[in-house]
Amino acid sequence: MRHKVLAVCSMAFPLFAMASLQAHHSPSAIFDMGKRVAVTGTLIRIDWINPHIVIAMEARTDGGKVDHWTFESNPPSWYRGVGLARADFAKAVGQAVTVEAVRARDGTLFGYMQKITFPDGTSLELVNGADPK
Amino acid sequence: MAKRFFRVVACAILIPGVALAQQTGSTSSSGASSAHPDLSGVWSYAIDRAPAALKKEVNGTVTILKIDQSARHGDATSARGVRPSTRTPSYKPEFLAKVKDLSDHQSKTDPVFYCGKPGVPRIGPPRKIVQLRNEMIFLYEDISGDPYRIIPTDGRPHRARANPSHYGDSIGKWEGDVFVVDARNFVDDTWVGEDGYFHSDALRVIERIWKDGENLVWQATVEDPMVLAAPWTMPPRLTRPSTDPLEESPKCVETDGSKLLNDDHHLQR
Repeated sequence: MRHKVLAVCSMAFPLFAMASLQAHHSPSAIFDMGKRVAVTGTLIRIDWINPHIVIAMEARTDGGKVDHWTFESNPPSWYRGVGLARADFAKAVGQAVTVEAVRARDGTLFGYMQKITFPDGTSLELVNGADPK
Repeated sequence: MAKRFFRVVACAILIPGVALAQQTGSTSSSGASSAHPDLSGVWSYAIDRAPAALKKEVNGTVTILKIDQSARHGDATSARGVRPSTRTPSYKPEFLAKVKDLSDHQSKTDPVFYCGKPGVPRIGPPRKIVQLRNEMIFLYEDISGDPYRIIPTDGRPHRARANPSHYGDSIGKWEGDVFVVDARNFVDDTWVGEDGYFHSDALRVIERIWKDGENLVWQATVEDPMVLAAPWTMPPRLTRPSTDPLEESPKCVETDGSKLLNDDHHLQR
């Protein structure tokens, strides 16, 4: 299991600002919109809570250390609105998943999930609703 | 002779009554009077939500899942019966600096960001309406909890000894086919809209709700003579009939506040 930081132009993620929070802070106040990380690790826990669902992962670094990552994402009501439930994530608890996210500005192992890929290859990704691609 | 007289008198009293009942309508099985439009039903979620979609890919097959955003701000201005509105309230000059300060630091000062109750009118139109003969019941979904309002429609006045609350004390009446809610007796720790729109405990909110085709239109007017220079009629919202049943909102656990590194502003509701 490992994680890596993807060097990405911040302009590549205008979607995040649009795909952000229902009743919460500006994402740019917490997350560095230009710093996207991809973390592969074991899905430990899904908290189906407001104002954001929370995804907890453990990922082993190249040096063998285990990092404890936390990602938040859109609110439960948003996921309900697109037809997804907690069970769609919880089915992968204990298994390897890959999460792509924008990382917290404070450098902690915290980010806002943009995409998750499950062990069976199924992926879920936030995209621009006005012009999905 | 006396019996015949009483029959005539009884008929004279009862027949007009029956005729009046037929004119004004009857009571449906739900208890709602058919004299007015029936607003009962489940309505779409009307809080501004992220316009994002979800791209789901399974075995190479891509599906785009979108949320219903029909009830977003400003999308109902052409609906039937809408009153002229403005996007922002007019505050008295002495409060403009306070509004600006609250707005500039919105991500740290807005109670809604920290799981606070939005109150009226910020909660918007109800997710479910149960229309009964003598009262209207509004049910909501919100991250702060799932509030309800029971709104008498039998002509009674506001409660004299009700405690101030986030959703106030409401009474309702019909003006033609428009249901009008008069809410007052609020606590003063909510905002009436984003951008620092605070209010005093003199807040009064008039909500007007009516049908436009199969949809529901909701428009509120905010009165607060303590802080506003004039009543504020908000832009209307339109909600569509929904087949998505109400669901208990998961608990709200705010953890991001300590991670905020700037005052970036964010569109809310």
